[in-house]
Amino acid sequence: MKRTNIDESILSPHISSPAELEVLSEKIRKLKAPSTKTVRVCGGPGCTAKGSLEIYALFIKAAEKLPEDIKIDNKCVGCHGLCERGPIVIIGSGDANGEIFYQQVEEPDVAEIFRETVLGGRIVERLLYEDSTTGKKVKSSEEIPFYKTQERIALTQNGIIDPTSINDYIAVGGYSALVKALTTMNPEDIIDEVIKSELRGRGGGGFPTGRKWRSCRDAEGDQKYVICNGDEGDPGAFMDRAVMEGNPHSIIEGMVIGAYAIGASQGFIYVRNEYPLSVERLGAAIEQARETGFLGRNIMESSFSFDIRINRGGGAFVCGESTALMASLEGRVGEPRAKYVHTVEHGLHDQPTNLNNVETWANIPSIINKGGEWFSSIGTEGSKGTKVFCLVGKIKNTGLVEIPMGMTLRQIIYDIGGGVKNDKAFKAVQTGGPSGGCIPEQFLDTPVGFDELTRLGSMMGSGGMIVMDEDTCMVNIAKYFLNFLKGESCGKCTPCREGIPQMLHILERITKGEGEDDDLEKLEVLGTLLSEASLCALGKTAANPVLSTIKYFRKEYEEHIYHQRCPAKECRGLFFYEILPEACKGCGICLKNCPVDAISGEKKEPHLIDQEICTKCGICFEKCPFGAIEKV
Amino acid sequence: MPKVSIDGIEVEVRKESTILEAARKAGIWIPALCNNPVIPNLATCRLCLVELDRGGRKQLVTSCNYPVRGDTVVSVSSERARRARRGVMELLLARAPESEELKELASRMGVDGTPYPTVTEAQRNCILCGLCIRVCEEVIGCSAIGFAGRGVDRSVTTPFRLASEDCIACGACAVVCPVGTIQIRIHEDTGEAEISPFKSRAKLLVCEECGKRMVTEPVAFQVNDRVKIDWEKFRKLARLCPECRRKKAAESVAMVALKKED
Amino acid sequence: MKEGIIKEIVNRYNNDDGMLIPMLQDIQAEYGYLPPEQLRVLSKTLDIPLMRIYSISTFYASFRHAPKGQHDITLCMGTVCYLKGSKQISDMICEEYNIEPGNTTSDRLFTLNAVNCVGACAVAPVMIVDRKYYGNMTPESALEIIHKLNLTIEAGDAGKSQKSQ
Repeated sequence: MKRTNIDESILSPHISSPAELEVLSEKIRKLKAPSTKTVRVCGGPGCTAKGSLEIYALFIKAAEKLPEDIKIDNKCVGCHGLCERGPIVIIGSGDANGEIFYQQVEEPDVAEIFRETVLGGRIVERLLYEDSTTGKKVKSSEEIPFYKTQERIALTQNGIIDPTSINDYIAVGGYSALVKALTTMNPEDIIDEVIKSELRGRGGGGFPTGRKWRSCRDAEGDQKYVICNGDEGDPGAFMDRAVMEGNPHSIIEGMVIGAYAIGASQGFIYVRNEYPLSVERLGAAIEQARETGFLGRNIMESSFSFDIRINRGGGAFVCGESTALMASLEGRVGEPRAKYVHTVEHGLHDQPTNLNNVETWANIPSIINKGGEWFSSIGTEGSKGTKVFCLVGKIKNTGLVEIPMGMTLRQIIYDIGGGVKNDKAFKAVQTGGPSGGCIPEQFLDTPVGFDELTRLGSMMGSGGMIVMDEDTCMVNIAKYFLNFLKGESCGKCTPCREGIPQMLHILERITKGEGEDDDLEKLEVLGTLLSEASLCALGKTAANPVLSTIKYFRKEYEEHIYHQRCPAKECRGLFFYEILPEACKGCGICLKNCPVDAISGEKKEPHLIDQEICTKCGICFEKCPFGAIEKV
Repeated sequence: MPKVSIDGIEVEVRKESTILEAARKAGIWIPALCNNPVIPNLATCRLCLVELDRGGRKQLVTSCNYPVRGDTVVSVSSERARRARRGVMELLLARAPESEELKELASRMGVDGTPYPTVTEAQRNCILCGLCIRVCEEVIGCSAIGFAGRGVDRSVTTPFRLASEDCIACGACAVVCPVGTIQIRIHEDTGEAEISPFKSRAKLLVCEECGKRMVTEPVAFQVNDRVKIDWEKFRKLARLCPECRRKKAAESVAMVALKKED
Repeated sequence: MKEGIIKEIVNRYNNDDGMLIPMLQDIQAEYGYLPPEQLRVLSKTLDIPLMRIYSISTFYASFRHAPKGQHDITLCMGTVCYLKGSKQISDMICEEYNIEPGNTTSDRLFTLNAVNCVGACAVAPVMIVDRKYYGNMTPESALEIIHKLNLTIEAGDAGKSQKSQ
């Protein structure tokens, strides 16, 4: 089943000069004449889970029945961003009318969209996005608040190109940076440009990328390596997944440029085991790149040879740490090692190795094409360019966003995110995953940047941004992250291996109502110990969620410890269930379902929970059809 | 040669020496559990933490593997370093509450007990320093034991937790274990040595003259394998313990001397 | 028992023991799990200690030492899914089928895995059944999907895990 009835068989010759690339790019664009209708169905993880692939299949079927002269280009694109409103379908007609953005599309809608919009040029009003403030329906994504203030560099082509097609990538200027770098720049020029951009690592470390490249280039060694860290393990983060699956060629292009600049002849993309589609997409992209001459021997007729191999992780969060990742690539357990000797000097197989995150690599082509100065004109003093975030949790507009550094948390959460779901009270935003911290309301006007977030006791991390509301217990959140890290600690060093379970043990007691007087002090002492004595970043930052929540939500901890109460009403046993007499209809469902017979009451009369007997299991709360039971 | 200043005492050491080596040269004691002269340091126990002064910025580093490259200023007795070492020892004491060796080391460090409960159900009394594993792999060359799992539930064990086919019951792991968890047990009734807790057993060769226990059969096999002599011949050569062999050699020399006199 | 499969896999990676993890992944793809006997063969073929292989296979969470169920159910326990109730979903499934996460039901219908974040946080809580994603799950809707899973008894469909024994 072909996705498009446009003949692309003339494309994909071997490229060996900038002129050839330009010719090919032109050819591809010409093929998709203005009269071509484009149907873009989002194939990102959120939309796929809501059935977008089935929708895509229906569009292809519909196009098959058309006569030859009507050109339809169906694309299943990478994550477009507004996951909350998925499945997303964008119809483009290539002319001045621009695109039409449909959201929450379902299978029965396909026939109508095809008939009305694709063929007829008419809009299906009910599928348009409705602006909640104005009440007006908008036609294109540019008019949607979620997208309006974003600035896209790494995600530029996400949701636009077909990630399985190198032609699509070339048509929008893909690989022009590679061609430019290899034919008109020398390695030192390239590194200078990256240094000028002031790009800092997007995986969480925030180390200046240009400086890293320079150190690796200067290091002694006859075999150098470049690695792409695709082991995105932070829960709540799928930025790298979106790029690997939505625009894999951007990563390859960045890596070839980097390898050329550093003098590496072999590259690796380490993809976590839980992302099989990323492995598939990257694998296909590498094949295409080889066929087109962008990977392999003598790239662009130069003496530079470089190829990439994909390695899958085995299921270990710690392998996101660079030395553990390299150990894994060497066929060993993913244990980090001391970084007193840097990996740019002695890394993989003891050779000079440059490791960067997916998003970092994806920024390189733009920096080469538009210049380092352009990149550094965006952002703040210490944090240049843009950052991709996953805005998730108790937020109205969950999804994938890319914003210029310096935008405030408030702007991201309220202007882009639309504010807290169900209009509940904002409580905290968690950034940096298990290594980060929870930031409370008073700091919402903080501009987003590496140092700014670190100063608040959190960190930029890889880009997960989890919004929490008044119903979130911060003690429980700290417990959650510690439990996560307990299972992911490699076990090599004492502080992390033993300290995390000790901290978790204390938190478990606290959430059960068995807190002790010196618990907070003990947690702070252990937290300091971990940050000072651990071998790697996992252990060193493991206490951040606990310490940041104690810092900003101490009262909540004290309520648990001294009053055996959970103010957010999450910790079982530390709050009560009460039946509201005014709302209770006396239906008896709660009574019937109570496993310990704690509820009493006559039919059609308000019922009562005996708090002495009640085990706080919450079944009555779940089952009440009138919402007459309240958490107190 | 770079100069290292440790708590004010200065020593000169070769480049790429470790801070721990420098401290020993200076006569300053730093506790170290997973440190062993024959095996390269992995700094897993974290007991040897010291405070490094990088001209303004201070950082805690493990002295057993931090390479000295230029002039270095280190504080062993700073409050921050002491606190970190104490914290690590307290965690270790909670992990291995029955080890006498650990309690002794704690005492020498001035650490009196631990405020932490023992929270792990996993392999107790093993501080997972890895010395046994590495001596088996790197020095003996058998790789009969290793780590299984990760994190706090990690344990030192054999493949599939069955008696290891690769174990020669040489006892090196027991010798090197800093907390006395690995033990060599002699079974008089069967003439076997057992390495506990790894369930490895092997027959012990005894001196044919005095009956003293020498090495296990697999160890003898391994040595024989390396010197490549016929096993029976080797067994003949190895049938006596060093003392008896000396005695026998002395006797034969005496016999020759006597013969000559005749 | 498939003869020569280990040799084939080892050759695929040029006898490079640095590629041990991909080799184990291929063995698991073949058998559905890592049979101890095959690991012994691997140890001999590559001439590396069995202990090294065992350390690696027990370190990485994706490796199994016992056959898995006919269906693969993965529950995401990432932060967002957890906030939205993935633990309750897990508890409900475990109670009904009398298993723990990581284990297989006694009739080998399915293996229940718990992983930390599958990257579909926008539609949390997420459950993946045989690589198909289901979003916005509740304990009820999750069980509904699982109840529809069938155990195929025919010899041919008995699954690779059967063949390997």
